[in-house]
Amino acid sequence: MNFEKVVFAFFIILALSLNFGFFLGEISESTHHHPYELFAALFISLICTVMKFGDRTHFGSTVLASSLVVDGLLITAAITWALATTDGRVISPMAMASITSLAGGALMANLISVILLIIETGQIRK
Amino acid sequence: MSDIFFLILRRMRMPLIFLISVYSISTIGMTLMPGIDPNGDTWHMSFFHAFYFVSFMGTTIGFGEIPYPFTDAQRAWVLGCIYTSVIAWLYGIGSLLRLVQDETFRYAVSERNFRVSINRIDQPFYIICGYGETGELITQGLADMGIQTVVIDIDPERTNAIELNNLSIPPIVLNADIKEPKNLTSAGIKGGWCRGVIAVTQNDHVNLKVAVACKLIKPDVPVICRSEIEDEAANMESFGTNFIVNPYLTFARRINLLTQNPGLHRIQNWFINQHSEEHLHQSVAQSGLPKGRWLVCGYGRFGRAVTQALADIEVEITVVDPDPIASRAPKGTIVGRGTEAKTLREAGIDDATVVVAASDDDANNLSILITAKQINKNVVTIGRVSHESDQMLFEQARCDYIFRRSLVVANEVLTLISRPLVTRFIQYSYTLTKSATEELIAQICQLTGNKSPVTWRLAVRADRSPALTSHLQAGGALNVEDLCRHQRIPRANAIPLLLWRDNISHLMPSPDMPVQENDEILFCARRNTDLLAQRLCDNEELVDTLINGNEHSIPLIRWLSRKVQH
Repeated sequence: MNFEKVVFAFFIILALSLNFGFFLGEISESTHHHPYELFAALFISLICTVMKFGDRTHFGSTVLASSLVVDGLLITAAITWALATTDGRVISPMAMASITSLAGGALMANLISVILLIIETGQIRK
Repeated sequence: MSDIFFLILRRMRMPLIFLISVYSISTIGMTLMPGIDPNGDTWHMSFFHAFYFVSFMGTTIGFGEIPYPFTDAQRAWVLGCIYTSVIAWLYGIGSLLRLVQDETFRYAVSERNFRVSINRIDQPFYIICGYGETGELITQGLADMGIQTVVIDIDPERTNAIELNNLSIPPIVLNADIKEPKNLTSAGIKGGWCRGVIAVTQNDHVNLKVAVACKLIKPDVPVICRSEIEDEAANMESFGTNFIVNPYLTFARRINLLTQNPGLHRIQNWFINQHSEEHLHQSVAQSGLPKGRWLVCGYGRFGRAVTQALADIEVEITVVDPDPIASRAPKGTIVGRGTEAKTLREAGIDDATVVVAASDDDANNLSILITAKQINKNVVTIGRVSHESDQMLFEQARCDYIFRRSLVVANEVLTLISRPLVTRFIQYSYTLTKSATEELIAQICQLTGNKSPVTWRLAVRADRSPALTSHLQAGGALNVEDLCRHQRIPRANAIPLLLWRDNISHLMPSPDMPVQENDEILFCARRNTDLLAQRLCDNEELVDTLINGNEHSIPLIRWLSRKVQH
């Protein structure tokens, strides 16, 4: 068992799970999507990105690319949220819908990371 | 480039993860801590405000408590955040600074710089492996000739001296282990501009390894190896190392020549040691080494080489060695170092003609030379210097002929590289008779005013000497004499030494020998003058004036008259 691999797989799957958790619910209903979950998903995704820094393998660079996509989308979602709630305004259903859809896009990229992880694990022959 | 970039990213993983975690946890904490607004109601910071606050807190500490004064719970959390974020930043910046000082990182940077400069080379160059005394002399010599070099040595302290030497063509330096073949590849051996590899490290086995690697990586690149052990030399020869330079054998051969034919020795000395001269006493150079009874003190590699080189001439050799059995010295060896008068007397210093101090210890050698001179004033002394810096002491001790390994190797390597015709001339010069040698010396001395001459090679090819080639192609006659002297410019006279045609050497070509295309001719002449041949080779006007005898007028009138003709 490779400890580094365990940690990396943990973070990459956690990122997917959190992202999925945030995405779940009515798309424009703000009570279905908690900001803490979005924050946690972004935080874990950033960690995943940094963990693949300096990895020259093909797998590593593809995962790095997909987690950069996740970062981009989630950061955009977070900024949208911040803009929508400036000066104490309540978030509008339209803004909520766009935040959720951005998170949905990030979910796809996260899914690809996990699939890549599974493929890579499958390639290791005993 | 990519190496450095990836190394930075890889090393910065932990600090970055730490920094992200600290910021995230601080932000979350800020949103969780309850605050009280001016109306006395409880409120929670939004993520936007929390991130804003944490951002300026982490970097500047102190923008005030916004938007309302904090509660104690918030202040307690901020207190924790301040310390952790400071630590995270220090950790990150510290790692970055440590990385810059890191050996691996620096090596990656220097390797990249090296690769870039190798790729930029657009002229012929030589790879020099090992930058000791020999390597330094060779680098210097090649730089003086305008040839680019690439130096590989494992010890940065030695190669740092290159920067201080201020050579006209600075060598490209790689601090790496030359035993690793990949370093040869990165030094550009596979590129089209590499003209040869010179392996002159102290260690024969390393030189051998370089030779093998070169021959396997690129068989047609010439390899010149320094070798001091005969087994290794034979080994090198077995797979086609192009030139093997053994300083002991070379110098022993020169001693032999100086004994038998001092004139020829003098000629060779002029032509081989053009860059740095050997230390040889004037009177010994004139009259040669006396035959008779020689003392060789120290029977190591040098002592053995001298003894063997003198075996076939009438010289009676007495060997002095502290341990004759271990060094396999010949019978009749006197036991001792030769540093004491007693041992030297025992070996017969009183009627000896030459003393060779051949041990590998400079102090002992000096002691031998001084003691020998004290006992027998007329004895000729030959000393071996191991350390460059001791050369001065040997000169002070009035040693007649000094053997410096590095100088012998460097001069021979430089001759091999830059003056192939000189090498040929030296090979063939052994066939010159004594009287022919004397005559040649007289000629040269008359030409140069008793100073050492320089050699110059003329290649009669369209790219090197267009004027002469077109003259020949037009059916013009040209003989060696025409290239050597003309009464109009007597200072530019030269002496032809060798004519190379269709792989045949013509030693001392006669003045009326016709010159053909693709001939190569070796001349020797006075130092610091332009030879006649050198002026002729690309100057059609001069060829027309001096060889065809067409008198030319002033350039302007000539130009005008041409205009009229056309």
